[in-house]
Amino acid sequence: MVVDEKDSPRWDGITPRLLDAGDVQQKVRCLGGKDVLVDKDDFLWRPEDWTEDLARALARECGIDTLNDLQWQVIRFLREYFFYHGRAPLNRDIKAAVGISLMELECLFPGGIRRGARLVAGLPNPRTCSG
Amino acid sequence: MKKVVMKVNGRSHQFIVEPDRVLLDLLREDLRLTGAKQSCDRKGQCGACTVIVNGKAVRSCLQKVANLDGADVITVEGLGTPDNPHLIQEAFVLSGAIQCGFCTPGMIMATKALLDSNPNPDIDAIKRALQHNLCRCTGYAKIIDAVKLASLFMRGESTPDAVRPDPNGPKIGVSHPRPSSMIKACGMAQFSADIHLQDALELAVAHSTEYHAKILSVDTSMATMMPGVIGVMTAKDIKGDNGIKLMVVADQNVLAGEKVHCLGDPIAIVAARTRDQARAAAAAVTVNYQALPVLRSPKEAMAQGAVQLHSQLPNLCFRQPQIKGDAKKALAEAAHVVEAHFSTQLNHQAPLEPEVSVAYLEGEGEDAQLVVVGRSINIHADMAILQTALGYENIRYEEAFSGGQFGQKSAMLSEAIAGAAALHFQSPVRYVPSLTESMMTTTKRHPFDMNVKLGCDREGKLTAFDIDFIVDNGAYMSAGTIICLRALRMLSGSYHIPNVNALARLVYTNNPAGGSARGAGPPQIAFALECAIDMLAERIGIDPLELRKINSLAPGQSVSTGHVYEQWPFPDLCAAIEPSYDKARKAAAIQKNGTIRRGVGIAAHSFGIMGPGDVGRVAVELDPDGGLTIFCAVADPGEGNDSMLTQIASHLTGIAMNKIRLVTRDTDNTVGMGPAAASRMTYVAGGSLILAIEQLKQAMEETGARTCEELKKAGKLTRYMGTKKALKEGGLDPETGLGPSFESRVHSIQMAEVEVNTENGEVRVLKVTTTVDAGTVIHPQNLEGQLEGGVDQGVGYALKEEYIHGKTVDYVTFKFPTIMTAFEMESIIRETPRMRGPLGATGVGEMTMVCTAPAVINAIYDACGARIYDLPATPEKVKAALAKRT
Repeated sequence: MVVDEKDSPRWDGITPRLLDAGDVQQKVRCLGGKDVLVDKDDFLWRPEDWTEDLARALARECGIDTLNDLQWQVIRFLREYFFYHGRAPLNRDIKAAVGISLMELECLFPGGIRRGARLVAGLPNPRTCSG
Repeated sequence: MKKVVMKVNGRSHQFIVEPDRVLLDLLREDLRLTGAKQSCDRKGQCGACTVIVNGKAVRSCLQKVANLDGADVITVEGLGTPDNPHLIQEAFVLSGAIQCGFCTPGMIMATKALLDSNPNPDIDAIKRALQHNLCRCTGYAKIIDAVKLASLFMRGESTPDAVRPDPNGPKIGVSHPRPSSMIKACGMAQFSADIHLQDALELAVAHSTEYHAKILSVDTSMATMMPGVIGVMTAKDIKGDNGIKLMVVADQNVLAGEKVHCLGDPIAIVAARTRDQARAAAAAVTVNYQALPVLRSPKEAMAQGAVQLHSQLPNLCFRQPQIKGDAKKALAEAAHVVEAHFSTQLNHQAPLEPEVSVAYLEGEGEDAQLVVVGRSINIHADMAILQTALGYENIRYEEAFSGGQFGQKSAMLSEAIAGAAALHFQSPVRYVPSLTESMMTTTKRHPFDMNVKLGCDREGKLTAFDIDFIVDNGAYMSAGTIICLRALRMLSGSYHIPNVNALARLVYTNNPAGGSARGAGPPQIAFALECAIDMLAERIGIDPLELRKINSLAPGQSVSTGHVYEQWPFPDLCAAIEPSYDKARKAAAIQKNGTIRRGVGIAAHSFGIMGPGDVGRVAVELDPDGGLTIFCAVADPGEGNDSMLTQIASHLTGIAMNKIRLVTRDTDNTVGMGPAAASRMTYVAGGSLILAIEQLKQAMEETGARTCEELKKAGKLTRYMGTKKALKEGGLDPETGLGPSFESRVHSIQMAEVEVNTENGEVRVLKVTTTVDAGTVIHPQNLEGQLEGGVDQGVGYALKEEYIHGKTVDYVTFKFPTIMTAFEMESIIRETPRMRGPLGATGVGEMTMVCTAPAVINAIYDACGARIYDLPATPEKVKAALAKRT
């Protein structure tokens, strides 16, 4: 069976778009003045690439002009936890470390802890699959 | 009801049972003996439930308890324990006959019955005795070895101590017993269905009866009223986004709410006191559909006016060219060109364990943690999917022992069903789907449709490869894009082909969703390329092995993506197989006439390990007693990752293997490691482990500390994390498909020897010889076990296996390979240390089946001149090809 692409009404670059060609898992972005590899959801591919400037840039993209002390405290806890345990903490771990309620934690970053704080802290997307 | 008195493992029991109660259910449910496994929906097809009744091996799922008054029953638990194992259990462990371990108790009981009556069985007797016992991991080779070894032990001609490697001896290159194998041999390893939850509700699922339809309404009222039913939940009862996003797009729902895209999509979950009650109620859920056009093929899905299946993406959902050099020009100038169309079938990975998951809430209120237990090979990623899908953050995923998976568990569904139900009903739940359900709802090996042109010069040097392949993605994305990219990254196999023009297209249809399956992309491409190479060899009159040898990539040359390799020991494998090849060719040459004709076929591949950007992490901690604990989510559904981690760690630290502890199975206590897929665990996890140990050793050397306590006193950490990163990163260029490929390669040439019956088209595989260079071998038995199991799967893929939705419902309709068709296998191993591999090793789990199907198909052609282009090569197709030839 051979199908010519012109037979397909969807292969026209018009909505809805075909998935971007190329590797769908990784792309290079310039963040905080540095080229870094991120995944499709903009999570850093390598948490070691993170810098505080990069965090500020990611925070601005999330709608946070200036990270406050509590937000920095959460970010630093996330990173320390990750580099010791090799995984992101659950909210209960953050709550115990930072001492605020889950509701307050979720409101601290647009996108909450999972989509907001973890992204700004440079933790990898737990869904990342290399293969 | 009937009163029955019987002995089980020497102890007398009285049971009062219904006439239809089978022994397997009584053993598992009433006596909580978990050694006998349930897999085949109690049809007697798999033998995983084999026990001994009155001295004979029987499949306990077929035995009515009512007929067993006065019987003497022995289960695997009655043979031995890890501290005091039976000789047969020792033999299975020492022979490397235990991979996932799901079939093992049944195999051991069938062996016990055999050896009790025949202390010195030959291979035919062993095959007859084990003919009802299926195994998907081993290809039966090491199981036959185990029975022979057990017979030696039981006759007193050898002992386990004489066979067992010295645990204090070398750790690398030695087949020390796998850490997990003895508890599997004793039936004590807990698979998901073996986990007992107090007062758990049993779940059943109402599935779509349509391939493509809008759901107008779901009526659960009758189901809710049925006996034992606690409740019924639908999509609206799921608090999260109800989406399963494996990698690219959340196009699949845990429970379909508005639309179904394939027969079998889950629509409602019933929770009841018993599984039978739940299943009866699930059958009473009625769904009112509005039928939509059904797209059965990529051609239909890409046709003008075809309905769009998913709102997020068009039916042609992914497209990636690959252009290296100028293939069009090279083909025009080539001395010889072959052109052909190849296709491969939808296939099921067919692990023996069904898709069981259990779930419960631990703790109460805001702090309650949802615990989901299942068969995942990627627990952290699956936990993340569950968090979003179910709208619940505090989740722990626990990996039970897993009865094989072969790529299938790169995807996930049953865990989401169990987790959603535990949250909704606020109760522990067990979801034990039938084999038919498991086969219906899990992802499969994608069918490929491939048009190929391959050209070479007068000397036989390959000049151009043109391939246009269309992948039927089925109803959901799962790993579809990854399959295409993996196929492109390994497109040119073992060869240097200067000009390549490829186009990969991935298309949604209403067929079952494709997903990861052992090899994940390369097996389909290798089938086309390796058959085309044989066609070219015949065209120009060069021996197929010689043609492969002269076209091997050389260090410094690039594969189809442009990635240059520094090591490429493939030519050594061509030389290694040559004596066996010559011998096989001579044996076949005298059997080219008559009804039964013999042929020899070869095929090769160089399989990629550690993709660009891949990262692995492993933590180690020095224990107060001088032991070492390894923390990493390294799933082990049968490959032997426990051996790999234990032996590398012991080798590098000098700590005894019995003091190396593995913490690998739950998300609360492990380091995220990514999937136990893509043959990456030895290379990536093993590499990360070495980096972690190096840090620990450095801290000890710097401080002079020799113990955990001394390290602490010196102010150093006792825990260190190693991170192995791929040397290269980034994707393929969107326009050219050029870019980094895999960091390392495992090389192989396989040779199949077959007999073809030219009257009825049946093909019998006599022997498969595998030459492999996987770098340093850590555990020879585990390596051979992977080769043998993969070859068996490859032969099944080549000759008979095919999943047909709605028709393939069990192991008989799947045509599962049995021990009766098991064939001779030989492994020829070379060990070129890899520059960046852990201790020089790579991985071998998938490569083993990539070459098998083309080797078999080339052998069929060599035997009788019938060329098969469309897998599987069923007798009907062979007969048709023979007729076409004449």
